[in-house]
Amino acid sequence: MDGEAQRATASWGNGTLAPGDHLRSDRAESPTPGLVEGTEPGAGQKSAMFVHAQSFEDLTAEAEEEVRREADINNPGDSEEELNVLVGEKEPHLTSESKSKEEDVSSEAWRSHRKHVFVLSEAGKPIYTRYGTEEALSSTMGVMMALVSVVESEKNTIRSIHADGCKVIFLTKSPLVLVGVSRTSQSDKELLRELQYIYYQIVSLLTLTQLNHIFQHKQNYDLRRLLAGSEYLTDNLLHRLDRDPGLLLSAVTCLPLASSARDTVSSSLQAAKSKNLVFSILLAGDRLVTLLRKKDQFLHHIDLHLVFNLVGSSSSFREGEGWTPICLPKFNTAGFFHAHISYLEPASQLCLILVSTDREDFFNMSECKQRFLERLSRRTAYQALKDALKSPTYSVEHVGIPELRHFLYKSKSSGLYTSPEFPDVYISDSEQERLMGLYQELHSSLHHPTRPLRFFYRCGERENLLAWVTSGFELYLCFSPLGTKALAVAAVTKLLKWIRKEEDRLFILSPLTY
Amino acid sequence: MSAMRVDAKVVMLGKESVGKTSLVERYVHHRFLVGPYQNTIGAAFVAKPIQVGENVITLGIWDTAGSERYEAMSRIYYRGARAAIVCYDLTDSSSFQRARFWVKELQNCEEHCKIYLCGSKSDLISEDRSLRQIDYHDAQDFADEIGAQHFETSSKTGSNVDELFQKVAEDYRSTSFHGMTLQETGVDLTPKKDSSFYSCCHNN
Repeated sequence: MDGEAQRATASWGNGTLAPGDHLRSDRAESPTPGLVEGTEPGAGQKSAMFVHAQSFEDLTAEAEEEVRREADINNPGDSEEELNVLVGEKEPHLTSESKSKEEDVSSEAWRSHRKHVFVLSEAGKPIYTRYGTEEALSSTMGVMMALVSVVESEKNTIRSIHADGCKVIFLTKSPLVLVGVSRTSQSDKELLRELQYIYYQIVSLLTLTQLNHIFQHKQNYDLRRLLAGSEYLTDNLLHRLDRDPGLLLSAVTCLPLASSARDTVSSSLQAAKSKNLVFSILLAGDRLVTLLRKKDQFLHHIDLHLVFNLVGSSSSFREGEGWTPICLPKFNTAGFFHAHISYLEPASQLCLILVSTDREDFFNMSECKQRFLERLSRRTAYQALKDALKSPTYSVEHVGIPELRHFLYKSKSSGLYTSPEFPDVYISDSEQERLMGLYQELHSSLHHPTRPLRFFYRCGERENLLAWVTSGFELYLCFSPLGTKALAVAAVTKLLKWIRKEEDRLFILSPLTY
Repeated sequence: MSAMRVDAKVVMLGKESVGKTSLVERYVHHRFLVGPYQNTIGAAFVAKPIQVGENVITLGIWDTAGSERYEAMSRIYYRGARAAIVCYDLTDSSSFQRARFWVKELQNCEEHCKIYLCGSKSDLISEDRSLRQIDYHDAQDFADEIGAQHFETSSKTGSNVDELFQKVAEDYRSTSFHGMTLQETGVDLTPKKDSSFYSCCHNN
């Protein structure tokens, strides 16, 4: 834990990550791949909004280090048997007294899910399973804990088991153990990252301090008691991890909005300040409209995604004004913030989240919201914002690049990304998941722990893909199978030019602070 | 909505999924949402004006989450509350145990808070009497014992819901008029000295 704390401070230290002053002098109209961080299209002009720099590596660095130190448990011969146990093959006594909505964990259907996630305590007590009920899986989770303990007793750490098209990934984050069982082609690192997210999701509900406290006092505590009713948050987060490019890129996307309107919204929000107000976030569905922060405080994208998930998963904030404790684990695992969550208008998509340090601050926050709304509604920007909600995304045809179907572009220094809507070819859920899977593979190759690629072109049967990472941006392009490599390479410059031209609208270039 | 002046703080307490949110939803928005159960996160606040005789009283209703996770926070929601609606599910005896817990908590920490015991989901009972797990008279006896009002409501049909909140508002009005006169005399006494003191200064 100490190590982690140190690392956390370290990442704060170099993690302020506001682009250096020297970087933003010129914003070339046609950016070249040699662009440095801070001048790429979408880079903020004043300062970064959140900590993002290490972004992906930030999440997995810790694990990587340990991997280097410790031998990977990777012996398919031995592990196959264990795996069968894990997947529940030889456990006839696990019959289903499952709840109606749950499925039989001894069934073939249960076993064939693409990705399982299990959370257990160090005593081997089940805390969460993505499919089926925890009760029915107690012996399976016991086996998982046994595997962890056996390896631990030899002063080693189990990382993964690879067998027969199946990967079992372990993440031990005392007092919790998280296990992922995947049939996807994702790398260990990607899967580990997803488990980290689940871990942070749980911490955000309870704080790490409380978790440690509970298990110190009672090792075999059933944590489900405290997490009751939050399972759907975890379910939803797992769904997002499969589908949301933001979680893959460690970035957030914005509602396209004229910069003048966005600036007015931001300044109205800035005007409604309060002593203990640390972060204000205005969301339109899953898209950021604006974000304000106290001057020296940065929000980590993981924390922001957890907030997105909380708001997006629950209709409970539509009933009135919500007031809830929330731990932002990348900010501080020890304590709660208190979030005032409300929609600007009853049927509106616009959700305002005001994060305060004081749990007694509800009425202050409520008043801040009121002040913001009064101020905003007197301005034409409010109408512009409402109009923008009608077209929260754009078609790839606007870019005007032949054979281009879809792309993801992330500005590294701002931690924001942009992406057009999915074209008709990828309109179905399964096709979208397949495309996201392809992006995930590209992402894995670009961020490979030992052999990272900078440029990757891949010709497939159903689409051609190009990925490119520079110090300033990450770019993933998807072309129809008719596209050629030459065309793809030529497209990059054109796309970057287009993004540069549209950056006012697609990104938040001038974030404000309190 | 929140800019409204709130007269009386009302807090909803009870085990998760007994229907606190549905009760508030029915009372405030006159609707019953059918769909998968969504638990409340933290707490939700809503202000609702209500006509009592010639006066309009605004209830500030705190709908709290039933999950144990938020128990440590519950104090900030019920502190200073004039009324607590402690809910239990008529078809779930464990929820009544939880209601007893909340009553005890309120008696210990918030003695001026009036308690309203509310058995929810009465529509289920009228459909199938065998579902009832909490006898009406047992609950009534408990209510008498703790000096609480007792209601059985259905958010689905709306039965007894308005009556419950009307009673809360009426009780508030009748006690607060005593309270107000007391307060006024209390306030009157001290400022007199102060004001004469200040007027002296000002005259100088």
